[in-house]
Order: sequence, then structure tokens, then C-alpha cells
Amino acid sequence: MDWSLIFELSLKGLIGINAVYFAIAAIGLNVQFGYTGLLNFGQAGFMACGAYGLGMTAHYFEISFWWGIPLGILFSLLLGLLMGIPTLRLRADYLAIVTIAAAEIIRLVVRSVRFKHYFGGSDGINRFAQPFREVGADFGIDQTQLYGFGPFTFTGRELWTMIVGWSLVALIGYLVYKLMKSPWGRVLKAIREDEDAVRSLGKNVYSYKMQSLLLGGVIGTISGMIFALDRGSVQPDNYSRDVTFYILTALVLGGVAKVSGSIIGPMLFWLIFTFLDNFLRQVADKPIKIGNFTIMQSTQVGQVNFMLVGLTLILLMVYRPQGIFGNRQEMAFDGR
Amino acid sequence: MAECRRRWPVRMFLGLGVLLVAAGMTSSAVSAEDIAIRVQVKEQNRDESGKVDNQPVVGVEIVITDASGTEVGRGVTAEDGVVVVPVPGRADYTVELLEDSLPDGQSLSPQSPPVQSIAEDSFVTATKTLNFFTGESQRVTDTAFERVAQRFSDGFRLGLVLAMCAVGLSLIFGTTGLTNFAHGEMVTFGGLAAFVFNITGLTFLGFLDFLPGVYPDGRFHVIWATILAAVFGGLFGWALNAGIFLKLRRRGIGLVTQMVLTVGLSILLKNFFLSRFGGRTRPFREYSLQKALDIGPISITPRDLTVSIISIFILVAVALTLRYTRLGKATRAVSDNPDLASATGIDSERVIRLVWIAGGALAALGGVFRGLDEQVSFEMGGRLLFLMFAAITLGGLGSAFGALIGGIVVGVLVEMASLVVPTELKTTPALAILILVLLFRPQGLLGKAQRVG
Repeated sequence: MDWSLIFELSLKGLIGINAVYFAIAAIGLNVQFGYTGLLNFGQAGFMACGAYGLGMTAHYFEISFWWGIPLGILFSLLLGLLMGIPTLRLRADYLAIVTIAAAEIIRLVVRSVRFKHYFGGSDGINRFAQPFREVGADFGIDQTQLYGFGPFTFTGRELWTMIVGWSLVALIGYLVYKLMKSPWGRVLKAIREDEDAVRSLGKNVYSYKMQSLLLGGVIGTISGMIFALDRGSVQPDNYSRDVTFYILTALVLGGVAKVSGSIIGPMLFWLIFTFLDNFLRQVADKPIKIGNFTIMQSTQVGQVNFMLVGLTLILLMVYRPQGIFGNRQEMAFDGR
Repeated sequence: MAECRRRWPVRMFLGLGVLLVAAGMTSSAVSAEDIAIRVQVKEQNRDESGKVDNQPVVGVEIVITDASGTEVGRGVTAEDGVVVVPVPGRADYTVELLEDSLPDGQSLSPQSPPVQSIAEDSFVTATKTLNFFTGESQRVTDTAFERVAQRFSDGFRLGLVLAMCAVGLSLIFGTTGLTNFAHGEMVTFGGLAAFVFNITGLTFLGFLDFLPGVYPDGRFHVIWATILAAVFGGLFGWALNAGIFLKLRRRGIGLVTQMVLTVGLSILLKNFFLSRFGGRTRPFREYSLQKALDIGPISITPRDLTVSIISIFILVAVALTLRYTRLGKATRAVSDNPDLASATGIDSERVIRLVWIAGGALAALGGVFRGLDEQVSFEMGGRLLFLMFAAITLGGLGSAFGALIGGIVVGVLVEMASLVVPTELKTTPALAILILVLLFRPQGLLGKAQRVG
């Protein structure tokens, strides 16, 4: 067992690009779920909007890469309106159902052969991130060179994406923190606690919910962009339902209705996930058996790890629904 | 004390259910001779007189993976449309035809899935032959009416399965307020449980071989497997309620929390199924290859016809039970208004328990029937989940009759949609239904209008 490798990789998970894009997506989800009580189970759909906004500039529109940012945000606003208009007047579950369905349909559409011309089909879109990396080069980060950082080494490409990513986490986190302290944010929290009370105070609950859904969605879009820029490609199957669920788990792990929770949660999630992944891989080098019954072999490590994610979410909901840093009172709302 | 006594069966059944599926697959490969898989890709056209004309398709790439998902070989079809790929031995394999490598303008015919699986014991000789067909196959000369009728019948079959799965989802929602995002996995559970009984076999049950349809190695005929899957599906539903949701209700845990918990349950179960069953789709032993009967404009296999008739009987029985028996009336009463029902002396916890059991059994049955139709896979239920949501939203959340009607309507619409949109996008109308229903009639067809804001 190579412990130093395991710890090194795990710590890399803590600050790596996965934690970055999960953190941004979780901040967005937190605006909707944590602060407003909206059950958005389609965050992956918003992320796909951002990623495909960037990708389509090169693949279909053939315009400057930088147009991809407003384009992705436009896509996500449209998606938010499409999902919000029919559901936000209704009970909380309907939004969950529609978002889960819409995200799935988006994935099917972008991977379809019929729309391959626009979205690149199941191969996705590659080679569009060069302008982004050139900016990194302008700041003096050589994309091919290795940079050492205490125990870590990153390629220049990773390092540049991480610098931009963590800056965005800090910026968005700060903005959301300030917004939630503002009167606007207090209305959102009040809606989560008691919609009718807010309505009786003359607030337009529907409009506030819509603003929250769109804001969280746009933040999710930015997360999708960072993810796409890191990979340098957009793959439809990276935006499946499971991604939303893992982000939700990461958010709940950190703590709902807290900006700090939505940043620390994803970091912890990837720390633990990377640790278990590497640890189990070494443990299951030889199949673990009781008699003739195989408990786990190396090909099952990924699935066992995701089973633990599911189990974590279940246990959190039973014993600590507010997450590690959350406040119990803020997770006491009821969808009915 | 009573609490303690009541707990052990819950754990036992949870454990038993887990073991049941976990009794997974241990395949042993024997390799002495040169084992190979021969893949033929043909373009199939039928002329006006109905004669079939097959043309070889050249340059198609084939990838073969073993049970663990590792690639063991690949090849490209030659001039005769044939490629022979040697494999390490007799074992379970998955053969995938890379659709992108098909010549322009050609696609696989609907009867020929891009991924086919080979079971270990289907290697009768050293070389196993598989066929893929491209082109419109038999359906080229069909009239528009025949195509519509065929799609309608396919959709009706899908709708029956959806209705069967969705009744439980809707009733659980109605009686407890919970939207169960793990319901798809309850469907998969049924399909996989039947697969374990039918194909894997449970050796310790081999002593039952005095019964017709039970084999000495502990395998069961698919009819037995179906019944057993439904029984275990019911137990599974009961265990989920007794083991998790009953306790959460007693502790007064909010519905949103419970709903997020079902998300965790869905992740857990789906990955459990994947780790034990693998990523491929596999057929049941019996009735997997059948010649379709032509009934008027529709062609349907005897298997699908039988399954449809049984489904109709089951759904009618469910509807009659809900309509006329005391229990059914109690269920509808609780679903309608839990507080009022409790006030009239209905034991609502008992009703909820029965709803979970019946919902679990019906979902499992739906899973087996879907598996007979489309083969079994670890995500067969998860794929149906949002169609089920569309069905119960259309019918009215919490209404059992609504779920029955909604399921059939959604099934038919989805299949009919493939007449106009590409097959890969045929589920998009379900989203359209969801959005339109919520915009114009949020209570659904049979739901009761409520003021919500």
C-alpha cells in the first residue's frame, strides 16, 4: 500500500479542478435549494448550457471564443424560464420533476445524431479552449510546463484553470454572501420558510423564485464552463443526472444555506472521494472474497465508491440534514 | 420491546434482498480451442414482392468487451460484411457495433440494437455468429397506416409497463407526500431479481426441482422468476418503508429531506446493481427469441402479446381493488386527505405500508415485463423514471387511476413520436407533456384542483 501516493492524490482532490467546478455549481444550487427551497435536480442541464455555449462558438457558429460566455448564459436563462414558468407557482416537487426531465432531455438532444451538426453528437466538441489558454500564457503560465507547489505538481494548463476557477469561486461566493445578507436575500429565505407569509406581505413570490432559479442556474452555467475549459472538450455524458446528484451530495455534506458550506462541501467531497478511490483500488488489487463470493474486485471500485456517496447522502439526511456546517433550522422546511 | 421485535425481520429482508441480487455472476472461462466471435453486418431490404435482399456492409467497426467491461478485441468488417474476432475463451461478452462507423446514410434497423450480448453457454461451437442489420429491414414497404398502428401497439405495451410502475409512485406520493426518486431502481430491482432466479440460479434452492420449471441447479423458469420477483419487490417496498421512511415519519422529518434521501437511495442502488450486474443488457433464458405474429397491421411476438394481456388483467385488478374493496377505498381516502382519513378511523400507517408493498410488487413486475421486452440492465428503471413522472403528472399526482391513464397515454405518445422525431429523441414529448400539463392543468387529468399560490 502506497500511502504517500494516496495522500498526495487525495490532497490534490481537495484543491483540484473537480472541487472548483463542483463548488461553483454547489453555490448556485445553494442559492436555489439552500436559500430559497427550490429543488433543482437539473443543475447538470445548466452546466451543459455553459459548456455547449463555449463549444458551439467553435463548432457551429464559428465566432470568437469569448462570445461563448454570453451565449452560455443566454442558454441557461432560457432553460431557467422554460423550467420555472410552469412550475414555480406550484408545489416544490414539480420543479424537481421538471428539472430532472429537462436535464435528461438536454443530454439526449446534444448527443443525438440528428443535431450532431450543432452539438457534435456523442463525441462532443473538442479543441475550442485555446483562446482561454492563450490568456494564461499572457500571464506567464506556460501551458506545457510543470509547476511544483509544495507536495503537488500541476501542468501549466491545470494551474491556469485552477487560478481562474478559484478566483471565480471567491468572487461568486462573496457576491452570493452579500446578496443573501441584503433585503433581497432575506426575502428568499422567508419564501423558503413560509411562502404564504411572504405573499401576504405583498411580495411577488413567483418573481423572487424565478430570480433565484435563474441566478443559481447562471452560476451553474459558469461551473459548466470551467469544467469544459479544463477538459478542453464538451462531452454530453458528463452532464448526466448523476452529476447533479453528486453536486447535491457535496453541497449537503458542507452545509446548506451557507456559502462556506457550499465551498467546503465539494472540497471535502473530492478529498474523501479521491482518497477512497485510490485506497480501494489498492485494497482490491486482488479480488476480496469470502469463500466463493466476491465482495469486491478492482473493476467494481468506482461503483463501490459511488455507492458510498449514496449512502453518505442517506445518512446525512437521516442524522444531519443541515450538513456539517449548516444550521438545523435552515433545513427544516417542508415541500408541502 | 415491541419495537425491538419488529426490527429484525426488516433487517433480514433488507439483507435478503441485497444478497439475492448480489448472488451475482461468477463466470468461469474454459479455453482449449480457438474461440471466436463472427459478426455479420447486412443491409436488409425487402422489395415490393416481400422478398428479402441482403447486402454486406463493409468497413463497420466492432468492439468486443468481456464481463468486466474490458475490451478483448475489435475488428472491421471486410468485403463480405463479415469480421471474425478471436476471444480468450467461452464467456459472457458484449459486442458493440460503433454506429459512427456505418457508411453514410445507413443506420441500424430498429430490430437490431447496436449492443448485443453473448452468454457463455451460447457458444455451441467454437465460433459464435452474431448478425447486425441495417436499413429499414422489413418495414420499408409498410403503409403509413401500418406504421402508425405498429407504433401505437408498441406504445401501448410501453404504456402498460409505465402504468404498472407509476401506480405505486403515485400512491406513495398520495398517501405520504413523498416523491420517490428511487422508484426507478425499484423497477430495476424487479428485473434483476427475476434475472437472478432465471439465469444465475440459486444453488441452495436446487432441491425444489421436483416442481415443474425448477432446475436442479437452482434456476427457475421465467414464469416462476416473474412471480418470485414480484414477491421480493413487495418485500423490498415493505422493507424500505419499515426500515427507513416509517422511522423518518415518526421523527417528523420533513418531506424535502426525505426526497433528497431517496436521491441518495437511487445513487446507492443504481451503483450496487451496476457493480453486481455489469453494464450490459441481457435477455432472459426463455422466450427471448421469437418470431413475430402478424395481427392485422401489427406484428407482435407471442411473448409480448401474452405479457400485454397479463398486464391488462393486473391493471384492471388494481383498479377494481381500489374502486370497490374496503382497503382500496381506505387507500384512496388517505391519498385524498390523510388527516381527514385518520379522523374517520382509518389506520393510515397500515394503508401506507400496503401501498409500499403493492407499489414495490407492481414496480418489480413492470421491471420484469420491461426486461422481457427490452432485456435487463442496471439502469432500465432509471431510464423510465421521468416517463413515470410525466405519467403521474398527467394523470394527477396522487391519483391511482390517473397514473394508469397517464402511463398509457405517455407510453403511446412516446412511441408515436418516433414516427416524426428520430428514435433517439422519442422521449422528448414526455417533457413537453410535463410542461404543458403544468402550465394549463397542473392538477392533471384526474387530480383535484387546489389553490397553491
